[in-house]
Amino acid sequence: MARRGEPRVGVYICHCGINISYKVDVNEVTEFASRLEHVAVAREYKFMCSNIGQDLIIDDIKKYHLNRVVVASCSPRMHEKTFRKACQKAGLNPYLFQMASIRELVSWVTEDEREATEKAKDHVKAAVMRVVHHQPLEPRLVDINPDVLVVGSGIAGMQAALEIADGGKTVYLVEKEPSIGGHMAKIDKTFPTLDCSACILTPKMVSVGQHENIKLFTYSQVEDVKGYIGNFDVKIKKKPRYVLEDKCTGCSECIKGCPVSLPSDFEYGMMERTAIYRSFPQAVPNVFVIDKEGFSPCRNACPAGLNAHGYVKLISAGKYEEAFKLIMERVIFPASLGRACPAFCESECTRSLVGGHVRIRALKRFVSDWYYENVGLVPPVEIPGAQENKKVAVVGAGPAGLACAYYLAIQGYPVTVFEAMEKPGGMLRYAIPEYRLPNDVVDSEIEFIKKAGVEIVCNTPVGGEGKSLDHFFNEGYKAVFIGIGAHRERAMGVPGEELEGVHPSLLFLRKANEGERVELGDRVIVVGGGNSAVDAARVALRLGAKEVTIVYRRSRVEMPAFPEEVDAAEEEGIKIEILTNPVAFHGENGRLKEVECIRMELGEPDESGRRRPVPIEGSNFRILADSVILAIGQMPDSQVFEKEGLEVNKDGTLWVDPETLLTSREGVFAGGDATKGPSTIVEAIGLGRRAAEYVKRYLEEEELKAKPYEEHWLEAVDKEEVLKKRHYVVSAPASLSDLSPQERVKDFSEIEFAMSEEEALEEGKRCLDCAGCCECRQCELLCEAQAIDHHMKEEEVEAKVGSIIVATGFKTFDPSSLVQYGYKRYPEVYTSVEFERLNNAAGPTEGLIRMKDGRVPQRVAIIHCVGSRDENTHRYCSRVCCMYSMKFAHLVKEKTGAEVFEFYIDIRSPGKMYEEFYNRLQEEGTHFIRGKVAEVTDVVSSAEEEGRLVVVAEDTLAGRVRRVPVDMVILSVALEPAQGAEEIAHLMGISQDQDGWFIELHPKLAPVSTASDGVFLAGCCQGPKDIPDTVSQASGAAAEALSLIMRGIVEVEAATSHIDPDVCVGCQQCMKVCMYSAIDYDAARGVCVVNEAVCKGCGLCAATCPNKAVTLKHFNNEEIFSELEGVLL
Amino acid sequence: MSEMEEKERVRGGEFDPKIVGFLCYWCSYTAADLAGVSRMKYPPNLRVIRVMCSSRVDPVFILKALLDGADGVLVAGCHPGDCHYQKGNYYARRKLALTKKLLESVGLEPERVKLSWIAASEGPKFAHVAKEFTEEIRKLGPNPAKKEFFL
Repeated sequence: MARRGEPRVGVYICHCGINISYKVDVNEVTEFASRLEHVAVAREYKFMCSNIGQDLIIDDIKKYHLNRVVVASCSPRMHEKTFRKACQKAGLNPYLFQMASIRELVSWVTEDEREATEKAKDHVKAAVMRVVHHQPLEPRLVDINPDVLVVGSGIAGMQAALEIADGGKTVYLVEKEPSIGGHMAKIDKTFPTLDCSACILTPKMVSVGQHENIKLFTYSQVEDVKGYIGNFDVKIKKKPRYVLEDKCTGCSECIKGCPVSLPSDFEYGMMERTAIYRSFPQAVPNVFVIDKEGFSPCRNACPAGLNAHGYVKLISAGKYEEAFKLIMERVIFPASLGRACPAFCESECTRSLVGGHVRIRALKRFVSDWYYENVGLVPPVEIPGAQENKKVAVVGAGPAGLACAYYLAIQGYPVTVFEAMEKPGGMLRYAIPEYRLPNDVVDSEIEFIKKAGVEIVCNTPVGGEGKSLDHFFNEGYKAVFIGIGAHRERAMGVPGEELEGVHPSLLFLRKANEGERVELGDRVIVVGGGNSAVDAARVALRLGAKEVTIVYRRSRVEMPAFPEEVDAAEEEGIKIEILTNPVAFHGENGRLKEVECIRMELGEPDESGRRRPVPIEGSNFRILADSVILAIGQMPDSQVFEKEGLEVNKDGTLWVDPETLLTSREGVFAGGDATKGPSTIVEAIGLGRRAAEYVKRYLEEEELKAKPYEEHWLEAVDKEEVLKKRHYVVSAPASLSDLSPQERVKDFSEIEFAMSEEEALEEGKRCLDCAGCCECRQCELLCEAQAIDHHMKEEEVEAKVGSIIVATGFKTFDPSSLVQYGYKRYPEVYTSVEFERLNNAAGPTEGLIRMKDGRVPQRVAIIHCVGSRDENTHRYCSRVCCMYSMKFAHLVKEKTGAEVFEFYIDIRSPGKMYEEFYNRLQEEGTHFIRGKVAEVTDVVSSAEEEGRLVVVAEDTLAGRVRRVPVDMVILSVALEPAQGAEEIAHLMGISQDQDGWFIELHPKLAPVSTASDGVFLAGCCQGPKDIPDTVSQASGAAAEALSLIMRGIVEVEAATSHIDPDVCVGCQQCMKVCMYSAIDYDAARGVCVVNEAVCKGCGLCAATCPNKAVTLKHFNNEEIFSELEGVLL
Repeated sequence: MSEMEEKERVRGGEFDPKIVGFLCYWCSYTAADLAGVSRMKYPPNLRVIRVMCSSRVDPVFILKALLDGADGVLVAGCHPGDCHYQKGNYYARRKLALTKKLLESVGLEPERVKLSWIAASEGPKFAHVAKEFTEEIRKLGPNPAKKEFFL
């Protein structure tokens, strides 16, 4: 026996047949090794990995009392485990072994034999020097959790899942699509037997769906994988289906109501489907799903949250009443908004990128007018009986106040609105000119609101001289909403403002709207750049002014008025003087005569972000004017409420909590221009409705902020993405014939014409359905099982499994980049998967092979190797294309009798009955032309080619270029790793090869295992393969998983980190860098401690520890230093 | 190393450097194996030492290699974002950046140390890096540290 501690090393040099010995002088290396310190025996052998080779080691360990072993042979990735086991057999701790790679790192990569031998010697020496420092480590034993995760449910995933489930073990089967089945569900026939794919697949799908041991997660994705072999913690993200799986009966009634039309992914865009859909009739689970990608940009842009997408689609489907109802869920005054809304939705419309936005505002006007005319001024909701003890008072009958009132009233709260003016409507009535919004429209809409039970009391000012807030509460009102708008006009503070002929704009507009004749004279100056200024100017023109000029102190781009209004004003002949500001008004006998202005220039930006206008000294000039209209800003009349105890902001607006709109006084809410300052109708209505919600919560004594205002709100979808996914033709919006500017200014009649029904229907169809589902909720009405839940949220499920089978499959190559083949340029060029659908009885042509114009093709070309075996795309052979191409040839011939031309490089038909199928095709008269296709073109050169596509290829057997005219071209596209393969590789810790396929542990002997223990591969994710190979591999992966389960216990790597508590100072830097939280701080001892069950052995902590208290077992500093010395010294 | 051996290293008038390569097991070591399996030839100067993760490479390893006579040190790991241990390679990158600074301050060429991202599938890249780095070090000449420095 060797003395304790004295290393006795056995060194074994492998020839690897001749793989090593053809470059490395094995005998010389052996002789060299035998002379190294501590080496007790050195031998060479032809195959160290063979049983004889291993026995050699085992015998020597016993005979020479070896306590260390070095094998110099192939990569440790190949045989480290083999030799460790051999050591173990001989009673030696497996970690007292070191491998030197002299094949992959030496003999195979070195030209010169001498150099190779020297390099091999270095590696052997290093290994001997290293192994001396090795410590015996105890492999950890861990239990194997018997549950298995299978990712992907194509035929590979289904096969593996069924094998394991039939074996009595539980399987979590995760599929990202709404149904299981994978690509095989899309295929019509399978080669070479020509049996129907669905007929052999669907029974399997049903078994999977019904198997008691399979937990099926469709429309789901694996989000996270943690742990190690036998003990994985998996997080599965269930995307919201918006249809309850346990309730949906698959009756498909819902699709009848859906107005949305989207290209079907399952049919490769060759068919349209509704937003609520099922990929195919035999889907498992037989449950519908709603394609909801977010909110449409239009809907997201609306300050009132109005679902523009929804009502536009309902209008396009002729469902006007439903559209109106949807609008009324969010806003009141739809007909007014349909005329005077600035339409933020339209500026966000994706259609603006391809022809011009959908005329959303005009559609709203159309449908509102239609409703009032055909249904009447009747709220489209059932109003519950009033709850008399919960009365609400609203101050101000403008859009904000009435919105608050309406939404409370329809929920059964009695509301009284108090209005200071003679008539309700606020700015709608008094500020927006008739030509944009006629007062009778406002009147009707107020009538409509009254029908909902809202009581309106006019001529009743509140605050100050009028009723006080206390008064309301004393009268039994439980809450008050203040929506007084912003009616107080700012003064300029310049000399002469008091002169006759100087008008504040709001007063002016009100008089004009009330039909009062205001004498303006010929020359009118309007001061300001907002909407009131532009409105006032245009009204002045209509009142007979000859020359109207808008004077604005900043530049044109800074004008706050809506640009289209400014443009219209200019069209009508209004002049705009920018960078000009009045400094004084000069009069004669108390009447205005001249306006003195000064020129301005733009200085530094102010707090609003706009550049501050600065007067230019000495640039004063005077303009003759008969009237001036001042439109320089408005603010709420808030002082009266300040006295009532409400807090008021510096700009005169009422202070409210921005979320709840509650003022500083309990029970008093406020919104609209009163809190926001002058804004838009739609914003005021939005705030009014928001206030209604919080007033309701207040009345019901709920916690106001317990839940968000909008419980269901999604991000807007990306417009560029939408355009990529949708089929569309660039088209201009419906033109709403405007009056000419000259005619417009004659009177106050409406400028914009209404849309006809036909125009509306057409315009609605221009919508691109950005979000997918438009949330019109028609499906909800049709679903008797009440299975639809539009507000469904993403769910996360956690599972513990012992092994994982990855079966994520493939996607097909997109041939658009190979422009020479004309894909997407010529309608009759199809990819193989598209053609597969064309062939399928459930596909777009119900299985008839027809051209897009309905003709039966007479000549069909099939081009092989599109994207395969090509330096420019993929160098690999996709293995299945030859065979499916021949299957196509057979089917085309059988179904249409057409002549078929196969353009191939080589025919690959290895497989049972494959070559026979090839022979059969040749006998059937399919033309096989060997040669790569140069191009597919519609440039014809003979009468025969006329009206056809011409396939130009070099026939390498005949040695000439051929032009083959055909009616249809099928591109046999390559297979590529599935979308998201990279993420899966990351999650599972498996590697991808240069083409992205997952790398198996060993290409020959471990084809389903991976470098991550406990993770197995099945099917095309590992490389292209046909169905039989896929199924075999899946069964193999299932067998591996089952074998692991049967073992019950597995050894895991013992090379983890260890912290020496005597050296550790507890600085915790190791904890900070550890990616696995495998290090804890033991506060009692003041040191860090490694949790070995969690440690993965990367060694980052060891390299980080400033005190060198951390060692990575088997890769400690001593071991690495000695290896370094071995190769260097 | 004796002077005789030192002379041996200058063959045919050309300096023949010794280079140490720390390769992470999951990406770069696999790439080296792939280069071997694909029989790609590269100069024999590189001696590979396997580590589980590039983040295991303590700056001390690099200094030790240089002091023991390595003319160059290569550290190779998975591509950023691809680390088998999530983000060990980012730490490796930082450590190496600092080590280079340290080398500079003691008067050694920082170019003697190289960091490279080589994925498991990049056998050709590994061979290329081995070739290129050998050339670079050849141009730099012998590492002066082994004669002038000691710990």
